[in-house]
Amino acid sequence: MLPHFSYIRPETGSEAMSQLSDPESFVLAGGTDLLGCLRERIFPVRKLVSINGLAQFHGITETEDGGVRIGALTTITEVETHPLIQNRFPGLARGASEVASPQLRNQGTIGGNLCQKPRCWYYRGEFDCLRKGGSQCFAAEGQNQFHCIFGGDGICFIVHPSDTAPPLIALNASAVIAGPKGKKRQVPLEKFHVLPADDLHKETVLNPDEMVTEILIPPPPPRTRSTYRKVRARRAWDFSLAGVALAVHIEDNKVVNSRVVLSGAAPVPWRSKAVEDVIQDRELNSKTIADAAQAVVEGAEPLEHNQYKLPLFQGVMEEELLALTNQA
Amino acid sequence: MKNDSVYYLKDITAPETPEPGENPSPWTNTTIIGKRLPRVDAYERTSGSALYPSDLLLPNMVYGAVLRCPHPHARVKRVNTRPAEGIKGVLTIITGTTPEADVWWRNEDGYRSKLFDPHCHYEGEAVAAVAALDPYTAQDAVKVIQVEYEVLPYIIDEERALDSDAPRVHPKGNLVDTESYERGDVDQGFAQADVVRERPFHTRCEIHTPMELHGCVAEWKGDTLTLHESTQGVYAVQAKVAEALRLPLSRVRVSGRYMGGGFGSKLKAGKYTVISAILARKTARPVKLVLTREETYLAVGNRPSSHMTLKAGVKKDGTLTALQFTCTGTGGAYPAGGVALVDWLIRDLYTCPSVKTECRDVFINAGPARPFRAPGHPQGSWALEQMMDELAEALHMDPVDLRLKNIPTVSQGRTGQPAYTSTGLKECIESGAQSFGWKAARQRNKSSNTGTLRRGVGMGGCVWFVGGGGPPSTIIVKLFKDGSVNLNMGASDIGTGTKTIMAMVVAEELGVKLKNIQIENADTGTTQYATPSGGSKTVPTESPAVRNAAIHIKQKLMEMAAEELDCDFEDLEFEGDEIIVSSRKEQRIKITDIPKLKKQGVIVGVGYRGPNPENKSVNPFGAQFCEVEVNTRTGEVRILRFLGAHDSGRVMNRLTYDNQVFGGITMGIGFALTEFRVLDTGQTGKMVNRNWHDYKLPTALDVPADMKSLPIELDDPEANNTGAKGLGEPVTIPTAAAIANAIYDATGIRITETPAFVPHLITRLNDLAKEG
Ligand SMILES: Cc1cc2nc3c(=O)[nH]c(=O)nc-3n(C[C@H](O)[C@H](O)[C@H](O)COP(=O)(O)OP(=O)(O)OC[C@H]3O[C@@H](n4cnc5c(N)ncnc54)[C@H](O)[C@@H]3O)c2cc1C
Ligand code: SF4
Repeated sequence: MLPHFSYIRPETGSEAMSQLSDPESFVLAGGTDLLGCLRERIFPVRKLVSINGLAQFHGITETEDGGVRIGALTTITEVETHPLIQNRFPGLARGASEVASPQLRNQGTIGGNLCQKPRCWYYRGEFDCLRKGGSQCFAAEGQNQFHCIFGGDGICFIVHPSDTAPPLIALNASAVIAGPKGKKRQVPLEKFHVLPADDLHKETVLNPDEMVTEILIPPPPPRTRSTYRKVRARRAWDFSLAGVALAVHIEDNKVVNSRVVLSGAAPVPWRSKAVEDVIQDRELNSKTIADAAQAVVEGAEPLEHNQYKLPLFQGVMEEELLALTNQA
Repeated sequence: MKNDSVYYLKDITAPETPEPGENPSPWTNTTIIGKRLPRVDAYERTSGSALYPSDLLLPNMVYGAVLRCPHPHARVKRVNTRPAEGIKGVLTIITGTTPEADVWWRNEDGYRSKLFDPHCHYEGEAVAAVAALDPYTAQDAVKVIQVEYEVLPYIIDEERALDSDAPRVHPKGNLVDTESYERGDVDQGFAQADVVRERPFHTRCEIHTPMELHGCVAEWKGDTLTLHESTQGVYAVQAKVAEALRLPLSRVRVSGRYMGGGFGSKLKAGKYTVISAILARKTARPVKLVLTREETYLAVGNRPSSHMTLKAGVKKDGTLTALQFTCTGTGGAYPAGGVALVDWLIRDLYTCPSVKTECRDVFINAGPARPFRAPGHPQGSWALEQMMDELAEALHMDPVDLRLKNIPTVSQGRTGQPAYTSTGLKECIESGAQSFGWKAARQRNKSSNTGTLRRGVGMGGCVWFVGGGGPPSTIIVKLFKDGSVNLNMGASDIGTGTKTIMAMVVAEELGVKLKNIQIENADTGTTQYATPSGGSKTVPTESPAVRNAAIHIKQKLMEMAAEELDCDFEDLEFEGDEIIVSSRKEQRIKITDIPKLKKQGVIVGVGYRGPNPENKSVNPFGAQFCEVEVNTRTGEVRILRFLGAHDSGRVMNRLTYDNQVFGGITMGIGFALTEFRVLDTGQTGKMVNRNWHDYKLPTALDVPADMKSLPIELDDPEANNTGAKGLGEPVTIPTAAAIANAIYDATGIRITETPAFVPHLITRLNDLAKEG
């Protein structure tokens, strides 16, 4: 069933990093995504490096500047239920609560959630598609009802499956990445995921010998409200058809600053600058909201079977902005 | 279609059993029957100690796996098993050229193919199989077998299957059959109508996804084969395997005491059954072959999709004048009832003098259908019940009133139009509407539906084609001297609570405690012949025979007691576990104190299922009501509440009864909102959502917490001696249509194609908004 692989559970971060330098070695966190990939033999795997023995990558703490640090091994459930997250970053708590099912949230980690593989049914099935090194994207002309409307660029039409990435990006979070020989870098999550046009064979900027160790969320500007709303084909255990993460800073009834990130829209969590621009410095009245709903699908390139995503994103955008004004 | 060629008996030979002597009339008062009692095997089932075939571990057991064709249509040219032979732990590999596996497999209607047919007509057809020391090695071995296929042109679109340029699934062409039915004169009927409406409807292919996968454990002892199979009918499996392997029936023993659901897909043996038997013979070890979930999506059944058109005429006062229905459906690559019973509700449910139906069954290169909980009915209901609502609206009539205007007392669709022994259709609709608060909810929603969250109510009625059960059934009950009982019955308990209900019948008659009844069932080696548990007929078939067997014991006990108490047999009656002399109440004797019983040790009672009444039809009826909330910005549908009012005769056990109602509604919600097979049309022709994630079953959150079961319990002394009718299938018939009607009530949008989910709804809502 599973391919043959070796399994290593290092005790220290540096040992983990040196193990990862072997080719075809993968970080194993909760395993909820990776084991499925192994079973379907989607990519070759020779070594699993479990990071579950590394306690330092686990947990949620407040940073000195009032932000939050989330260890990569923190479970989705912990993110969902932690008071710091619930109080300061309700959009993220909401995003986490919308992930999969309770069992998967208990087992899956935030690091794994950001690094998970696409859910395109051709990719996960017996199809030798472009992303897997084949010669054809089956979704382009095929069953593409759950595929992207932005960013496919005629190459690959996956949607990024994560429900935590959009709110994290809306909150301007970044990932701390450890590399070989003690190297460290910090990448804004907005720049963490990779479009097919940039590299068809990877979904994140991580090199094979790197891993995410923690997520940093800066302190929210005062009066910023964050939300996440997800529409799906069934009410649990299902990925986003269309979702919107908002972090909106409103002063004197006007939008001072906003970040709008879509799920279910593109191969990466999709920042909708068009919406941000439209609502900038404006009051969130019905005209603004209608304009924002128009803007959210600006430039979209729907496929044969996912045209419905246009009115759907418009509806979700409208609903979420309205909900913000009602909260005010 | 022949009226009485019931799908669960198709291709099955069944013995005639003697008629029971005196047929008692149904109970007037009961002490146990009808109670809300937990299952007799609840502890075993929930603690994990119940052994399902998938759980079985036999000494020396090895594991099988099947290699399946990855193309919708292909010819196997060469199979190279060598790479698999080299894997440590692989014991044997069988292919189409293995002499022992050169076996014919009989499909329905005269189509037959080889067990490993080189001409693969659908994705998932078996090509080879492996036995290995562990299941993982078996799967690995299957993956490295090299098969050279000649990939052939395929057709997977049933609407184009009859085009002249469509690739042929079989040499004879792609038409399986056209079934027509006509009564009255529809042209005249439409001419007399004040309102005529016509509309196409489409339902998508739904896959059986029982909790327990399909599979079995095969074991040879000398020349005798024992199969532990997850099945709805052990005798049906026995027949099919004996035929395929040319074995005497007596040498094939099939046992299936526990099984984890089938919904029609386990009425017969599968190729996997025969394959495991061959592997077991070749390895001389027991072989467990349980399919993977992915395989079950491809190869062991589905509810066929259907493309229907329904035209209906009605007079101003609400009387239907004519119904005309056409349907194209497909059972996949072999004849498998692609349109079976889809038109039944149109023919039978509501009074209508003129009805014409024409159903075309075609072949496509996809996995064969198998009966799926109420075959054909939810599809036909999807069309009929939505059409009824459309007519009601045109007439400015309440949908409930329109249906009540057209309640038949005879089974119009059957030859000779026999009367129903009982019909609760009217009561189901009336009492259901009342209990649901139908009128008030409709009113309330009408006045408050202005925002973006719109509420609506919908309903639908139903009849189930069969559900009366019938002979044969033979039951043996043994009463031991200590008052405990063995009940021996061939029927499978497919999760519906059959065993519990039968034990309750014995307890009702003999005053025995449930915990003192041991049940031996579903084993061709040790239990009596039974037809498969399907068609909602198990309770009405078996419970009367169980009752007769218990009564047989009672009579013997009374004879013994009469001798003992020196009184007239006629003067005795049963009270709990005692026999009393009616004329001298103080004179009584406990069963277990009867000296003759003590001496004999055991009394054996035999019961047979008596015949059904002549020229009458026994059918269950029902009506379901629901309220939904639609988010008009996003097209999300939330089901707020459901009510199922069902007439299935006597309620045997209120707890298992409600389980069926809730389970049927849940399944219907899946059919309406989330489930559909997706084939890679125009490209590979393969199924793309063949797993539990992409093929979406409803989750707990998709099903409302507010579900009500309202039994409409009518006496039906003619049906059988317990007065019970079937329940398991009617409960899923009107669910989807009721939801579609509620969505219409909420939004004014008629969803004619399943599933009614976000992509469809948001598109339609958007169109509606554009039209203004
Ligand atoms: C049935 C199902 C439904 C789901 N539904 C949703 C959903 O609705 N929304 C949603 O957001 N997600 C959903 N998921 C995805 C789920 O949230 C992820 O599987 C989970 O978050 C992954 O975490 P993990 O710890 O189990 O990752 P693993 O499975 O261990 O790893 C996943 C991938 O990330 C890599 N990885 C893990 N940790 C790190 C790290 N620290 N640094 C670098 N790489 C790393 C692994 O190498 C692997 O490639 C679903 C998953 C399943 C199986
Ligand atoms: S969308 Fe991407 S992953 Fe899916 S088939 Fe196309 S190339 Fe493969």
